[in-house]
Amino acid sequence: MIQKISRIISNYEVIMPLFAGAVTVLFIIAILSLPLPYHEDQLYTKTINRSSTLNPYDRGGLPFTDVVIKAQYPENSPTAGYVTTYLTPLSWFIANSTLHAGTTIVAHPGGILDEILYNTRGLDTVVEPTILFIAFAIASYLFRKG
Amino acid sequence: MNIAGEPFLVLEFADELVYLTPYTTTLLLFALAFTIFAIISRPERQVDIVFGGDAFYAKKTSLSEMRFRRFMAIACGLASMGAVVTGDIFNFTLFISLVGICNVGIVAAVKIRHVQEAAFQYGIVALSATVPLFGAAALTAATTGTLSMIELGKATTAAVSPVIKALLVLGVMGEGMAPFYAAKAEMFRAPGAPYVIMCSLSSLLIFLRVIEVVLVI
Repeated sequence: MIQKISRIISNYEVIMPLFAGAVTVLFIIAILSLPLPYHEDQLYTKTINRSSTLNPYDRGGLPFTDVVIKAQYPENSPTAGYVTTYLTPLSWFIANSTLHAGTTIVAHPGGILDEILYNTRGLDTVVEPTILFIAFAIASYLFRKG
Repeated sequence: MNIAGEPFLVLEFADELVYLTPYTTTLLLFALAFTIFAIISRPERQVDIVFGGDAFYAKKTSLSEMRFRRFMAIACGLASMGAVVTGDIFNFTLFISLVGICNVGIVAAVKIRHVQEAAFQYGIVALSATVPLFGAAALTAATTGTLSMIELGKATTAAVSPVIKALLVLGVMGEGMAPFYAAKAEMFRAPGAPYVIMCSLSSLLIFLRVIEVVLVI
């Protein structure tokens, strides 16, 4: 029996349909088990304030001052709040004088800095581009030598 | 359930804690040892003997292929190390997907038609497995309000539904666990064996690690 199963799945062409079937079955079970309870006390909350010129990156507070950022371990991020409040004078001017250009690449040439992404959860931001770079390395190797 | 064993070293990356318990340290040392093997060892040189005659032919691994596969094997070892020590659900899923793409890279560099076709199939599986994988991390955050495994292990935190755990396990399986992982018999027959071992080893390590993660959350 096990020999039979292993002979079937040793054919790599059945791997993808097998996985797709497993995902489909599990997704149906997951949809049937809805609704899952939503926990009200979230760690990384974000409010969408449509009138803000820094929407949707606005985490509250005035720029150039300290913003209260909720963290899991506040003692590990003593500088929390300062990244969010970092705006160059030019960005601050653009954000103040227009409604929609405040978060564009014109105002923030390097992209807007988000507190949660770049400070309290900075390790994730390091791993994410690593995945991208590995994917680029594979693609370029296959393109050049393949 | 709490994390396995008492952590004797906790590295703090702000909200993401990397902790070393006896269990995770064992897995880390395994990954480290095999990464060092992948760095110092040279690829095997296969010789096929033609049956019933004196003829034989040697399969040669080109230098660029050897370099690329060694680089991918080292990257895979580092990703496995990250996956076994991290104490954060989302960071864990990121390292797992890094392991998955490195496995595909190790296999895809071989210039043999059936190996590349198999690598393509595994690549598609690894690609689609990110949906249940990151979906499970997002659902964990939504139902408990936190992502840190030390917090999730505490009894006061809301329990994670079994279906979310199943999504996480299926995502990890698609990224690099048997039977979906990228090392099969036909790959072992491809020249350049020591790097393919890294696929199997990372498969074993993330299997052992995901058991702990599912028991903790």
